[in-house]
Amino acid sequence: LKPVGDAPPRVLVVWCPDWPDQGTEGARAFEQVVAAVEELCPRVEVLHPGACAIGARGPARYFGGEEVLARKIIDAVACFGFACRVGVADGMFAAQLAARGPRAEISDAALIVALGETPAFLASQPVGSLEDPELADLLPRLGIRTLGEFAMLPAIEAGNRFGAQGAVAHRLARGLDPRPLVPRPPPADLSVSVEFDPPAEQSEPVVFASKALAEQMHAGLAGRGLACVRVQAQVTCSDGQEITRLWRHDGLLSALAVAERVRWQLAGWRPARGDADERAADKRVANERTADEGAADEGGAVGGITLLRLVPDQLVRATGRQLGLWGDAVVSDRVARAALRVQAMLGHGSVVRPLLAGGRDPAEQVTPVPFGDAADPALPSGRPWPGRLPAPAPATVYPVPLSARVIDASGVAVTVTGRAFASAAPARLSADGGPWLTVTSWAGPWPVTERWWRPEGARRRARFQLVAEDGSAWLAAVQDGQWLIEASYD
Amino acid sequence: VQAREASQGAELSLVHRAAGVSGAALSGAAPSGAALSGTALPGEAVLSGTALPGEAVLSDEAVLPVLPALRGLLPGGALRRGSVVATGPWSLLCLALAAGASAAGAWCAVVGLPQFGVAAAAAAGLDPDRMLLIADPGTGWPQVVASLLDGCELVLLRPPDRPPAQVRRRIEATVRRFGGVLAVAGEWDGAQARLSITQQEWTGIGTGHGRLRARRVQVVADGRGGAAQPRSQWLWLPGPDGSVTAADQTKAARNPFWPEIRSTG
Repeated sequence: LKPVGDAPPRVLVVWCPDWPDQGTEGARAFEQVVAAVEELCPRVEVLHPGACAIGARGPARYFGGEEVLARKIIDAVACFGFACRVGVADGMFAAQLAARGPRAEISDAALIVALGETPAFLASQPVGSLEDPELADLLPRLGIRTLGEFAMLPAIEAGNRFGAQGAVAHRLARGLDPRPLVPRPPPADLSVSVEFDPPAEQSEPVVFASKALAEQMHAGLAGRGLACVRVQAQVTCSDGQEITRLWRHDGLLSALAVAERVRWQLAGWRPARGDADERAADKRVANERTADEGAADEGGAVGGITLLRLVPDQLVRATGRQLGLWGDAVVSDRVARAALRVQAMLGHGSVVRPLLAGGRDPAEQVTPVPFGDAADPALPSGRPWPGRLPAPAPATVYPVPLSARVIDASGVAVTVTGRAFASAAPARLSADGGPWLTVTSWAGPWPVTERWWRPEGARRRARFQLVAEDGSAWLAAVQDGQWLIEASYD
Repeated sequence: VQAREASQGAELSLVHRAAGVSGAALSGAAPSGAALSGTALPGEAVLSGTALPGEAVLSDEAVLPVLPALRGLLPGGALRRGSVVATGPWSLLCLALAAGASAAGAWCAVVGLPQFGVAAAAAAGLDPDRMLLIADPGTGWPQVVASLLDGCELVLLRPPDRPPAQVRRRIEATVRRFGGVLAVAGEWDGAQARLSITQQEWTGIGTGHGRLRARRVQVVADGRGGAAQPRSQWLWLPGPDGSVTAADQTKAARNPFWPEIRSTG
């Protein structure tokens, strides 16, 4: 059988030995290495944090040889403070092995397998380098110790004997790649910024500039057929302070609307910044006064603003957007403006709209959704939810249950058995370290065993309703031997 | 018929006050008033047919409707725009006060109440779709409230601390300017109307059996001006389905909603 497809391309792999972290942090740090490589050749494929690959043919011709290219890359990465090793070979697999393989000398960071010598290079590698534990275990027991020996097996037999995985491994051993290199396109910077020199003392010029800036950003996005879900406005001050806020965009905001959001951002920022120094504090008082008088709410910005940058966030293909004909409650402009102003002061997540959801707990029955976002209830409503707390619902639902103590007539803490029997009638109650209240009526325990099939969501509770002498009514629960106050019927 | 009389009272008190309403307040309130007019309560709809056209528009703009059970407690039987109402410590009473207006189409912002029970609010008649929750307004809460009054007809507020008189007066001025209503869960010295629960009694729960079914409360209202003489009213707060309705004065009506004893199986 002849190998399918053309000969594999020349591939250069950059490998940083012992990259510490494979998680998000590691990936972010590795971006610096990728950026360094991108300086030399723009199309880079990141294999995993710690390793990336480029097609070597073009850059090598440009720089005058693969060795020169490898040397340049090692130097460029070293400038960022990382040590790396480089391997060049026909095909990704061989290049990775070349990058990782043992070196004759420690200082020899680059290993270049000459054109056409890749099969010979691979033939000497142990089968363990296939990174397939099953094959690495099985093949030596069959007497096959190197990739060369494995490659000598007929391809069809390797497939028959070792399955699809074996067929792929066999391709690798012969120096063929299972897939071509998929480099990422060079990232386009769609953010726009404007500098203010001298720093803008008033917020008005910044707001004015932001309108032109938003138009520029929209043009850049439209030129690529993109829209952004959110836009980040970043304002930098002459004293180094910086404030960034994310605003919902969805491709719907006009340039004027973006400018308005920048204005709110600056207005909301002022009170928080006033603590910086005495002068600023004085100004803040003055500003507050004008704001509360309600006449002019945008006075002068404290300090000077040196930079305004708009960064489109979460790019999506622009498909146009049609608002629902019969949507949810339509948010009027006035309400949206008020909500966005408060979001500018306190942050995006601080203004929420409640969404009624399913669930058994009063706290579960509401999903908070930040204003401007769309979301589904965390738990589906409209299902029966057996064991759900019966109506009427409590007016006070504590976000975090309060701790409580409940004792019987003899002063011993009331407990609930595994078969949901209370040890005694609750006689007195103290919520959150408060004074002891005499319990006049009570009901329960009502056991709830939820999501026992999922360790992280599993919960066993026994609920009580307690009414105290002063007429206050409480929804209490026993969980893991502890009394909690989940809600109260105020 | 009761509802009709109560609304008529509102109409009369408004005619007295009409001269005092500034033009600025009216123009600021115009868009929301338009939103409300489509869903006016039945009692008012009957009235607007009999009253002069100009007065009918004014009645839509100058008050926010309340639940029928609460009409007897408030001067004019409705929440007057630009007023502050204090309801004592946070309770369902504060919610019930907002329910009528929210059901009629008003937006309602809830400030400083992380423990706000949305399910109870929905059962009392508030529309969760027209609700904004700001659990923690921080130290700049007066500004947050001022911003919200610009967009929402109703703001429920639990102040983080007792506000100084100066801050209080500024907020009251904002309430008047935007023509909204501020319902305060707590004390507010300059409140036009003050409601409080003086007695409460739960029914449906025994010692080890039953469950909380309904609460009968006595609400006492007083205030300034037209609301000076105290009024009181017995309410089911909440009733067995979470709604708020008027209750009888006498204690005799022990089980108006459900049979006390049911045979089980």
